[in-house]
Amino acid sequence: MAVRKILSVGNALIAIVAGALVLLGYLLPNLLGGLRQYLIQLAVTLTAFAVLLGIVNLASVHWKRATAPKAGASNVYSAVLLLSLVLTVLLVGFSGPTGFWSVWLVSTFQIPVETSLVAVLAIVLLFAAARLLSRRLHWASLLFIGAAVLVLLGMAPLPFFGEIPFLSNVRQWLSSIPALAGARGLLLGVALGTVATGLRILMGVDRPYGD
Amino acid sequence: MNQVLEFVEIILGLLLLVLALALTIFFWMRESNRGPGVARRLRDIPAFNRFRRAVGQSVESGKRLHISLGRGGVMDTPGGATLEGLTILDCCTRAASVSDCPPVATSGESVTAVLSQDTLRNGYASLGAERRYTPTNGRMSGFTPLSYAAGVLPDIHDEQVSASIFAGHFGSEIGLLIEAGERANGLTVAGSDSLPAQAVLYASAQEPLIGEELYAGGAYLGAGKAHIASLFMQDILRWVVIGLILLGAILKLVGVWP
Repeated sequence: MAVRKILSVGNALIAIVAGALVLLGYLLPNLLGGLRQYLIQLAVTLTAFAVLLGIVNLASVHWKRATAPKAGASNVYSAVLLLSLVLTVLLVGFSGPTGFWSVWLVSTFQIPVETSLVAVLAIVLLFAAARLLSRRLHWASLLFIGAAVLVLLGMAPLPFFGEIPFLSNVRQWLSSIPALAGARGLLLGVALGTVATGLRILMGVDRPYGD
Repeated sequence: MNQVLEFVEIILGLLLLVLALALTIFFWMRESNRGPGVARRLRDIPAFNRFRRAVGQSVESGKRLHISLGRGGVMDTPGGATLEGLTILDCCTRAASVSDCPPVATSGESVTAVLSQDTLRNGYASLGAERRYTPTNGRMSGFTPLSYAAGVLPDIHDEQVSASIFAGHFGSEIGLLIEAGERANGLTVAGSDSLPAQAVLYASAQEPLIGEELYAGGAYLGAGKAHIASLFMQDILRWVVIGLILLGAILKLVGVWP
């Protein structure tokens, strides 16, 4: 129990000191810039090992699912994933990360599959916009849909009408004034939220790395 | 002149950080001095009210909560959103610890996946229920944005999910995930630090979290008084930043600022 307590305090101390040094390194680059760089390099090395853990985790989740007694489509999908993982590791190991087979794998499987998901996404978004009107019909939703339609109409020439200068100008104005102002407001909130979260980590209040 | 501007930038950054730290500590101490029975009244955010109810219902109905942490890590700009997602995961783990179906966390970044496993394990350990912890409930679902989305879809479909909360860094692929949550007839609460994702989730989620609302998750889900103190700090600092922006605009207008 005592060892666990010491480890917990030790972890918190390492996180707080490393976090504070990296933060101060940004503000005082001449004084602590080198140390900040070194600490970040250490973290990058650790991240590389975490990728291996991530692959093991992915494989173990799908192994569990593929070998589950309840037979269904998920078992097959997981088995296909595991098979693909093994084949990818073998092929990339054999031909190197930029070799012919590695590029072939990406261009033949990954890019077409991801492109088809993007196509599905377009339909899903259209459906979501229509559902928004039935679910939350108030001025903000109408403004959202109206602005999206105007921007879409102003982006490309319309069939039979060609490019309508008025719509292009409206789109330009919407993107550069109200949308930009709103985006900056949102980003300001996000930045303050990030500062608050970072400070809680530095104070040792939030410990995602364990108590 | 550039050196002077750089110096002013550094001093302003340091001052803002010190002010943020001082305000957080001040409000934290003030909140700690309030009696345990005296609840702090916070602005109403319907998303968190509904999610709290959904957590209770999931425990009663024996269904699972799904916490999607996005594909951001903790080492880059989206780190804040990811860490807030981990806080929400911690709150959900504690709240649903008695459930037959423990919460499942999915992420698209390996460090986040490891941290989600740690968070789940710590949540159970703090309640003395370490045996209930299963490492595969903190899942790495995919390494690219769309493979992450494709990896999460079966989790939502197959795991009897009653509510999904998406808290972290996403792109427009969040639309696919929320749609899957809708099809599973579950509650979908979503927030992200990215603007394209916020546009998509506003249209598709039942309860969207816009802007800084995501970062209020810990305070609203009972993560502790430091989270409430952070909210007060953000409120004050927002006005300070607005004042600084206005001051900068005036200085530029009169020609003092280059």
